[in-house]
This record gives sequence, structure tokens and C-alpha cells, in this order.
Amino acid sequence: MAEFKLQAEPPLAGTDIQMGETRLTAPKDLAVVAIALPLGGEDKALKAIKVAYGIALPGPGLSAEAADGSTRLMRTAPDQALAIFTRADPDAEKVVAEALGDTVYLTDQTDTLCALELSGPGARAALERICPLDLHPQAFAIGAAARTVMEHLGVFIARTGEDSFLLLSASSSAGSFLHAVETSLKNTN
Amino acid sequence: MIINHPLLGPRDAAEFVYLGDAALIDRPDWQAEDAAAQFHAYGYLRDNPAGAHRELWYHEQGDRSWLVVTRDTLTHEITQVELARDVARARGRSK
Amino acid sequence: MSQQNRIEGGLVNRAKPLKFSFNGKAMQGYEGDTLASALLANGQRLVGRSFKYHRPRGIFTAGSEEPNALVHLRTAAHGEPNTRATMAELFDGLKAKSQNHRGSLEHDLMAVTDFLSPFLSAGFYYKTFMWPKSFWEKVYEPAIRAAAGLGALSMKEDPDTYDKGFLHCDLLVIGAGPAGLAAALAGGRAGARVILADEDFLPGGRLNAETLEVDGMPGAVWAAQAMAELASMDNVRILTRTTVYGAYDHGIYGALERCTDHLADAGGKPRQVLWRIYSKRAVLAAGSTERPIAFGNNDRPGVMLAGAVRAYANRFGVAPGREVAVFTNNDDGWRTAADLVAKGVDVRAVVDCRDAEPPVSLPGVRHVRGAAVVNTVGRKGLKAITLTNGTTIPVDCLAVSGGWNPNVHLTCHQRGRPEWRDDLNAFVPGGVLPVGMAVAGAANGSMTLSAALAEGRAQAEGQIEALGFTPAKAEAPKAADEPRLAAAFWYVKESTKRAWLDLQNDVTVKDVKLSYQEGFRSVEHLKRYTTLGMATDQGKTANIPALAIMAECTGKTIPETGTTIFRPPYTPVPMGALAGRSRGKDFRPYRLTPSHKWAEANGASFVTVGNWLRAEWYTREGEKGWRDSVDREAKMTRESVGICDVTTLGKIDIKGRDAGAFLDKVYSNTFSTLAVGKVRYGLMLREDGICYDDGTTARLGENHYVMTTTTANAVLVFRRLEFARQCLWPDMDVHLISTTDGWAQFAVAGPKSRDLLRKVVDKEFDLSNEAFPFMACGEITVCGGMPARLFRISFSGELAYEIAVPARYGNSMMGVLVEAGKEFDAVPYGTEALGVMRIEKGHATANELNGQTTAHNIGLGKMVSQKKECIGQVLSQRPEMIREDAIRLMGFRPVDRSKKLIAGSHLITKGEEANMENDQGWMTSVAYSPNLGHSIGLGFIKRGHERKGEIVRAVSPVHGSEMEVEIVSAHFIDPEGERLRG
Repeated sequence: MAEFKLQAEPPLAGTDIQMGETRLTAPKDLAVVAIALPLGGEDKALKAIKVAYGIALPGPGLSAEAADGSTRLMRTAPDQALAIFTRADPDAEKVVAEALGDTVYLTDQTDTLCALELSGPGARAALERICPLDLHPQAFAIGAAARTVMEHLGVFIARTGEDSFLLLSASSSAGSFLHAVETSLKNTN
Repeated sequence: MIINHPLLGPRDAAEFVYLGDAALIDRPDWQAEDAAAQFHAYGYLRDNPAGAHRELWYHEQGDRSWLVVTRDTLTHEITQVELARDVARARGRSK
Repeated sequence: MSQQNRIEGGLVNRAKPLKFSFNGKAMQGYEGDTLASALLANGQRLVGRSFKYHRPRGIFTAGSEEPNALVHLRTAAHGEPNTRATMAELFDGLKAKSQNHRGSLEHDLMAVTDFLSPFLSAGFYYKTFMWPKSFWEKVYEPAIRAAAGLGALSMKEDPDTYDKGFLHCDLLVIGAGPAGLAAALAGGRAGARVILADEDFLPGGRLNAETLEVDGMPGAVWAAQAMAELASMDNVRILTRTTVYGAYDHGIYGALERCTDHLADAGGKPRQVLWRIYSKRAVLAAGSTERPIAFGNNDRPGVMLAGAVRAYANRFGVAPGREVAVFTNNDDGWRTAADLVAKGVDVRAVVDCRDAEPPVSLPGVRHVRGAAVVNTVGRKGLKAITLTNGTTIPVDCLAVSGGWNPNVHLTCHQRGRPEWRDDLNAFVPGGVLPVGMAVAGAANGSMTLSAALAEGRAQAEGQIEALGFTPAKAEAPKAADEPRLAAAFWYVKESTKRAWLDLQNDVTVKDVKLSYQEGFRSVEHLKRYTTLGMATDQGKTANIPALAIMAECTGKTIPETGTTIFRPPYTPVPMGALAGRSRGKDFRPYRLTPSHKWAEANGASFVTVGNWLRAEWYTREGEKGWRDSVDREAKMTRESVGICDVTTLGKIDIKGRDAGAFLDKVYSNTFSTLAVGKVRYGLMLREDGICYDDGTTARLGENHYVMTTTTANAVLVFRRLEFARQCLWPDMDVHLISTTDGWAQFAVAGPKSRDLLRKVVDKEFDLSNEAFPFMACGEITVCGGMPARLFRISFSGELAYEIAVPARYGNSMMGVLVEAGKEFDAVPYGTEALGVMRIEKGHATANELNGQTTAHNIGLGKMVSQKKECIGQVLSQRPEMIREDAIRLMGFRPVDRSKKLIAGSHLITKGEEANMENDQGWMTSVAYSPNLGHSIGLGFIKRGHERKGEIVRAVSPVHGSEMEVEIVSAHFIDPEGERLRG
């Protein structure tokens, strides 16, 4: 037994803010692993992804849930995607590595990013104050995903439901990130 | 301004960082006889056209693609947007 | 005070009276009033003093073009000066006061300036205050500053909040008058996503101010029905109280929504929202603005624009006067007379400069043909007018119409140049309009109601058809074409008294003529010379008459004379709205290191490094100043062990088959040969051969490197790596992703660092010098299986490591390291001690890699490999860059060890004069070295490497300081590197 123990203190843990029927929470134990497609090895990688997750890797601007609902795959660049799933232990990269083997390059982003989930009828109106993207369902349907800038912060945004959004931003600026979304919620609800 | 990203569609220029002339893709051969002169031109000499200008924009707050944007410097009209990686390959760059 | 001027009708809600005060006087109005209409209802004609001459002024218009009625709303920190009373929506409890007077509004002590007016004509500054020269700063300027300006700021922080936002639409319709409503209906019915924005709180535009009918119903009723239909459409968004103030590139518009200005209490919500509207197409239906005619004393309270007078009567149920005359050069002015007669107001005369039959028959109203008003009487409120034929008519209100100007402003915000139309005597949109914009209605010169309705619809249909929508089949609204004939008549030549053009800046016809005489004849010069068209109204009512007068002086036509360029904003945008949320500590995002909480709880002071907050030192009890803390931290680290959070250094995860080859291209030295499990210092050059950034890069696997960058350049290095990867070597298999925030990284430095780490690192990992030597790295576990990375690198020059754990464990890890280090007297240290130790060790940082220095200068010339291609390699070898006598990075110490070196001091060879010619270099970084007990410095000096031991002068003219310093090795501590290898 080691003499010292480390405690996990994710930056937004416990966030749960309700304004009317709209709710802002930090998803618990969300793990994020970046998947890079090797140059020239794309076909092999895409095949492995299909086998492992039961879905094709979504194209640019899109995300999708694995067939078993365990993982959301979000395309973030021509040769890059994020696998987003629930995992408390700090070994998320290993989990994806077991699924995809050496067909891809992996980098754990669980601690690089922090996440917020905004859901409810006021979600879009709140995001309108900080998000330059068109979030109208015609323009940003369920599954749509993008990275953009909100209040000077780079943010990944995905529409996960009719009126629910998943937001990911850098963990070091978690305080500013939460403040930006929370202020938007307060200003509009 | 709005840049019509070839993969992601129209995005606000605020998501991008501007670099300059797309001629920066054409980096000279370091082993050429006149490499120093070529690199001097590459580093310091720029055309400054009044009209169509091919230039590099980086989608820093987006998918981090470098783009070659053809923009009219007089009107800001953007007539073409390409992935810089494709342009670089088409211009013979490899490894 | 009763509402003695309230008459029947109008769109105000008489069931909802509202109390308000003006200059402390209690008054009452109704819901639906503006402050201006309520003041007029209460008989308050005098509402302010003019800018320059402190002339008594009243309400002149009924819209956003108002030049006169600028008031101060609300009180104390909530107070807002220079607000247009015509735009301020009345609410219960509103407190308003007038501006720009000393003493009361009625008895303004500054009114004396009006009598000095012969000395204060246009350009008087430039002529009057020239002599004596010394008087300018001490006498003239302070006096002018005290007298100048309109409203006064509270000088308190604005307690209101503001927000910004982003909207998207297929069709943006600007203005909800007849053309705008027709356009919005066309777009909405076709299923397009429409945004309809209007600056008023009651959409309808002139329909609310006129008695014209649409589809057989009053215009206001039709407007309300149209709004109801639009409001029922999911695809239409209505923004009232919203001014679209600017047209920008590619269909982007700026708009200001006044969300809570009409409420007594904002309820914690933002007062205003600055919208960025992305439109695929736009229809500008901004209407038109009436202009005045200039004549003697035409600025008296009670002289108003004719369209405004009937707007007050028709929309607000207020008669601006009881005995009214109309002075017009066009048919439209007659409508004011007709509407007032219909409301039972006594219209004493219609003075028409045209010698023509009246366009409408008004029995009982005196028609004065071919005449003009030359002068008025009544200092604080109009009493009578005098005509060119010598007649005097007692009136308390004069409605003036000089014709209407299409509101072309937004069409000019890019490259549009308006065109003159002789039939309208006005400019209409011309040249190249902003991309995607069409103009409809009066803004486009379609001045009649029927034309506006038809054009609004047609333009919108054209716009949405281009986007692939099919216009809905619907009946076109029917309306009449009202008479709109007008004469080109700008000012009354017979007037001998001052005839005012720009009421806001007190510019007269004479001033324009003076400007011409003095050679300021281009409109741009006219504007600067006379201040015509400046300030909050931007000359919306004044510009065209002034231009006409200038054209007359020069003998050119008006279009030849030109028009000033309209730029955003259309109407003023408060600074608060432009700032939005970016105020105070929210000005920019902040970044916290993983151990921030621990540092806060343990006496840290923080310093901002970019957006990061880093611990700069940890104060212990009894320490009197920062030096005590920093000296202790630096000393104890070298004696035992110190711990510092270095997470802020950029970390880039680099993967791929070509990762090593890629690093060879971007670093001046070679990385492809680095063994797995090893770290190497890397130096990056700019393409011009100047040093760019440095850091260590570790090879964790065959295809896996982790690069570190400096804190400041993390984003920039990542950007240029992506450039190299995508644009220069696109076929390399290499992938980049930032992990800066992902790993909490700590420097553990000092002779006891290994002992400390042995207590934390899991036992199966051998930390002995043999197993894990200097520049080793590896993936390990700590605290019983926690994944971690360990690097044996040293910035301090001590035996040192950097250990990284997933960031969420960083705060805990800091505590663990300090706890485990207790037996060694381990200290946490901050950025200051870090800086001291790096100077002691002679490591270069931003002060040395300052964008001017080369690898040769910092003594790393040999690191620029000549055997491979890398960025900056070719130009770094230019003869000037590698001169033998170039500056070299050296250490310096004061000859008198008690002296304190000054960073930035220039280095001069002993015996030479301290001038630029003899400049030998400069001191880049200095610190007090607690380990050496005196001040030390790093710096550049010519041929430094050959001059060790030489005494030179360090001169700082800025500080008035000079001292002798000795050139020494930059490595003050352990120059042989025995400690870090130990």
C-alpha cells in the first residue's frame, strides 16, 4: 500500500445549475480520447472504428453515438476525432486502445478538456449569447458538432438532443468557461 | 467576414488567424545553389495586389485546418477556399 | 402639471398613466409615450440648451434623428447623459433632466455666449485663442473644456450589465414601416427564416404617425395585424427597440437591442444586447428623414419638423402647439396641416414657398403662396413668425417641412455612394450596395405608401427567390399614392438673423458660407471646419441643406459637391454595449494551474502570465517582503528540494511514423536520432534565422514525442507546427494535439529531489542515477498505480525532475509532494524563485530570446545543424547573423558587490563615452542571487566569450545610473553541470 494517495478534483465537478426548465451540469467522469487517423492508414483505421463502435466515423461537422450507446464519436478535423465516454479511472486511452489497436494514434484528452451539458427549452437562447454558430435545428441538427470560439475560449459543441448540447473546452480555463455559459443562462432565463 | 470552409461551411473570420500570402507554401529548396537568395525572397518579398489575393488563413478556433483563401483585397469578396494541404500537394510538396 | 396638450386619439394607453419628472417637476404621461411626447403633452417646450451658444431649444423631431432634445435620464451611477428624449420610452418613475446649463434651464448663466456669437463663428478656436501662446494651456483650454460638452457622466462605474449575441437568418429586414412589414410578410410567408428589426418600441414606422389607410383600415391597425401575423410564425424573429447600426462584410450586420431601457428596474438582466446578425440576404427599409428649411431664429422651442408635429398628434395624441403654422416646400407638409385640422387644432397658416395651388383643400386655413418665414419671436418658446411679405402671425408651434431624405446610411457602410435624384431633391442608394442587400420603400426613394408596400414585397421576394424559396401567393396590400411634389428650397435668403442648419452643433447658414470663403469647400472640409454633421445625430437633418448651400456657393450641383461618407454606427452605440461582458476581471478568460487551490491555501501570491495565474512566491509567517520569500525559496531549493507547478509550459503530443523527421524540420537540432526514453533540449528558429522558442522534447515511444514550449508561445508554436505539417510537408504522417492542460507538471528540484520522489513513485521504478540518468524520461506510476510521466530535466541547474500526473490529480499531487518532502524541508516555490535560479544557471528565456537574437548570440550556434533541412537554417547562416564580433550571452556581476544591477542597462567599454556608437550590448535579466549573496545579471555584449574578466560600464540613462560590472560566465552556479548529473 502506497504511503500517499491522490484525489481526483476535476475542475467542474458537481456543477448543477437550474434556471427555469433549463439545466447546466458537468457530466460525471466523462473521458475524452483523441483519435488520429494515420496518413495512408485511414481505411484500416475507419474499418477498425466501424468494427469497434458499430458505426462509421462521422464526417466533418458531425458526431454520432456508437451502436451500443456507450461512446460518442465526434469528428474534429479531417484526420482527427474524439471518442467521448464515461470512465472514472485515468486510463481512458487504454480503453480506446483495446478497441482500436494500433490502427490509430491516441492521445488522452480527459484532463485537457472539461465538459458542460446544457439542456432544456432555454438552451439555445442561452447559447445565442456566446456561440457564433447557427444552432437552428435546420442548420445544426441532432448530432451536429463543431469547434468554435465562445467568449475567447475554443469550445467543442455537439447537439445531443432536441434541446440539449454538450460543450467541451480547455480545463485550465474551466472557471471562465462555466462563467460564460452560466451568465448566458442567467441573462436569458 | 465569413470564410466558407471547404469541409465545414461558412464560418466567422473571428475563428481564424490570418498569415498572409499563400506563396509561403512554396518554400525554397534549402540545397539550391542560390538558396540564400531564394529564402530572402521567400521571407521578405511580397506582392501586394489590388484585387484577387491568395492568402493563408488558419482555422485556429475550429478544426485547425490551414486554408488558402482567394480574397479580393478591394471588396473582400472571397471567390475560392481550399484546404492548404491540398494546395501544397498540388504544388509538389510532399515530405 | 396637467397634460394640457393631450388631445384625443393616438396609440397611447390612457388606462395606464405613468408618473415621471423633468428637472424635478412631477409630470404624467401614458404608456406608449416617449419622454418627448409626454413632455409636449405637459406643455414643456423648452428642454435643453444648445451646445455652443446655450440657445434655448425644444423637441425638434419624433425619432432617432433628434438633434436638440438631449436629456439626462435616471440618477447617480445609473444616469445616462445625451439621451434623445424622442427615443426614450416613458416608464413609471422616470427621472429626466435637461443638460448644458449653469443655473436653471430657464436662466442659463452660459447663455451669455449667445451674445458673443459674433466672435464664436466657425473656426473661432483657430483664430481667437492664438495669442498669447502661453495662455492656451493655462487659460483658454481649461475654460473651453469647462464650457464644452453637453451632458455630464456620473464618473461612477456603470452598474448596468450588457451582453452580446449572434443571430442567423435567411432574410434580415431592417425597419418595420410599410416597406419592412411587406418585406417581412413576404419572407415569412414563404418559409424563410426572417429577422425583422425596428428601432421603435411600436413597429409600423410612419404608419403609426400618419392617417393613411392600408386595405381600407387605418395604417396603424394594418401594421398591428401584420405584426400579429409575423409574431405567429416560428420562422420570424421580431426585434423591437433594436437599431441595426452597421452593415459589414458578407451579410453581417450589427444591431443594438435596448432590452430594459424602458423598464424602471432591469431585474438583473442586461440592459442592452449587441447583436451580430448573419444574414444571407437583407432588405433595408429604413424609411426617410425629414429635413428642415433654414431661416432666421428657426431654432426656437416650438419650431419642429412637420412630420414630427403630426406624429405627435396622430400617434401620441399630443398637440405640440395650440396655434400652429406650417412652413413647407412640398406637398407632404400640407398633410400636417390637414391632420391637425382634423384633430381640431387651430392651424393659422400654411406658408408654401411654391406659388402653386394647394395639394389639399383646407377650408378656413390661410394659404400664403410663394412666401417664406424669415424670422421668429419668442426666446424660450415660439410666440410668432414673420413672413417674407412682412406679415407677422402669432403661433406657438411652427411645423417645417423641407422635404424628405431617404435613409441611405447603411447602403454606404461599405462602398456604396448615394446618387442624387432631381425629382426627389434627395440622395438615393447608389453604387455598390453591401453584398446581399436590397433597399425598399422610402429608403430607396419610393416615397409613397403604395410604392413602399409594393417595393418592400418585391424586394423581399427577389431576395428569397435567390435563396430557393417560393413566394407565397397573397393579395398585395392596397394603399393610395399620396401627393409628394416638392421644390428645391433650402434656406430663406431674406433672413438677416442667424439661420440654423445643424441644431446639435450650432452651425448656421453663415458658417457654411464662411467655410466656403475660407476655402474649406469640400464637404469633408466643411464638416471639420464647422463641425456640421458631427455628434450624436450625425447631421441627419442638417447635412443635405448644408450641402445645398455649399453647392450654391461653389456654383456646382449638389451631386457634384458630394456627400459625406456614412460610417457605422447609424445611431450611437453605448461603450458599455460594445464592451459587453468584457469588463473588470471578465475582460478575458483566466487559466488556473492544477495546484491553484493548494497554492491559495498556502500563502501564494499570484502573477498573471498571459491568461494564466501562477504562484509567484509563497509567503511564510514573519516574511516582510517578497524578497524574503523568494530568497528563501531559491536558497532552500538549492540546499534541499523545491517544488514548482510548471504546468503552464506548452505541451504538444506528437505522434506518427514521421514524427522524428518532422521534429528535425522544425527544430534546429536533430530529434529523429533521440532514443526512446530520452529528452533533448530543442531550439526553434524563425525562417529568418532568429531564435523563436525553445524547450525540451521527450521521446516516449517509437512514434511518440512530447514537445514542451515556453508558456507564452504555446499557441503560436502549435500554429506554426500545423503550418509546417499541412503547408510545407503535407505527406508526413505526423499528428499534433495539445496536452498542456491535461498534465499537471511539477518541477522537483534540488539535491534531495530524488529522495523525495522515491517516496511518491511506485517502487518498481528505479530512480537511481544509473537507471534514470540526466535527460531520461519515462511513463511511470505514482501513489499506488496512478499513471504519471517523469522527466529528468533541470531548469534550475540542480539535480531535478519534472513529474506529471493527469491534471485532475494535480492539486492533490502538490500536497503529496510537499507532504512527502517535509522531512527534507521541501519548499514550494513560485515563478520569481524559478527566475532567480534560471539566471543563476544562465538559461535564456524571453528576455534573451527577444525576437532579435540568434543561436549564435546565445552561444548555441552549433545547435543549428548544417546536415539537415530545418526552418531558419538557410537564413541563419547569413554573414551578418554569424559575425565573429557579434553580441554573446554572458553573465555580469557588479564590481562593488553591494550594488544592484539594472536590467536594460547598456554596456560600454571602460574609458569610452556612453553613446550609441560605443554601445557594446545590454543587460537582459538581473536578479539578487541568494546563493551568491549579490546581484547578478545576464546580458549580451560584443565578443563576450573572449572578454571574460573584463570590467565594463553598465549605464542606464533612464535611471541615471552607472556602475562597473565584470563579464563572467553566464553559468553562475555549477558551470560544469555536476549537480544536475549527480
